[in-house]
Amino acid sequence: MLAAAAAAVPLLAAGCKGVGGLGTLPRPRPDVAVLRAAIGNEQALIARYRSALAAAPALKDILDPVLGQHQAHLAALRSRLIGPAATPHPARPSPAATAGGADQTSTLAALAAAEQAAAGRRVSRLTVASPSLAQLLASISASEASHAALLRMHRSAP
Amino acid sequence: MSGPAGTVTGGALQGVLAAVDAASYGYGVAGAHLPTAGRAAAQRDWADLQVTRDELVSMLASRGAPAPAARDAYQLPFPVHSAPAAVSLAGYLQNRLAAAYLGLVALDDPALRAWGARQAQACAVRATGWLGRTVAFPGLSTQAVGPARVGPVQDGRARPAASP
Repeated sequence: MLAAAAAAVPLLAAGCKGVGGLGTLPRPRPDVAVLRAAIGNEQALIARYRSALAAAPALKDILDPVLGQHQAHLAALRSRLIGPAATPHPARPSPAATAGGADQTSTLAALAAAEQAAAGRRVSRLTVASPSLAQLLASISASEASHAALLRMHRSAP
Repeated sequence: MSGPAGTVTGGALQGVLAAVDAASYGYGVAGAHLPTAGRAAAQRDWADLQVTRDELVSMLASRGAPAPAARDAYQLPFPVHSAPAAVSLAGYLQNRLAAAYLGLVALDDPALRAWGARQAQACAVRATGWLGRTVAFPGLSTQAVGPARVGPVQDGRARPAASP
């Protein structure tokens, strides 16, 4: 992850003319690595929701607003990252979401578990983030925890 | 409480304490307008707030910082004369609490950061229990994090839950 973050700077610099005259490039701040990890997590969650929607279109009314909020998370995270948008974590479809034919209850349960796990992971990474990024990550983690609660509410009373 | 960092931490903890006291008052108002089931849920949230208040007073004491007393009354964000308004108030209060907890997340202390983040999560979960919907950035104004405002907008204004 750190190596990927460091590689972003020469790529960025290559796009600028005369950058050599500016002297030593600044070292990437820890936020770059944290942001890239957070962006990768958001992309994976978005891919999960898209797969779930493709497999269970009847869940559209429940899942679309949540997917929209994840897209807002991704946009907010990306807006803080200056440089190539490529992610070191290509989003991969989850086995649960691609199983096809899975009943809606288990789809909601799997998504709720993924949200809860994402919320927990983000809290564990707050320490190395700058204050404002830590607040954004904490707010996103709170949104994800509430998504898990919402999905469980729909699972028990569809 | 020594040095600028201690002062900042004490101020942030006092800010959360003030938000907890305001929310406790708000829940008292909301509870009076809720039917039995809603009132029981409001009482659970209120009881959670008292536990958190004790924790905050203890955290302030361990830093040698004063814990200001709650006020007798607080200004409500909108009139509450019905059960739907009481439900909206409960959701609003939880979002305001989440905002206060995010103040702790900006501190250097890793333990306070994690505690604040977990508390903000709990606030967002409670708000969703009340309102039956979620928001993208609990405790943050959407203008602060990006141009996108996701969610239903009515008459040019976001729903109460989407506003900080």
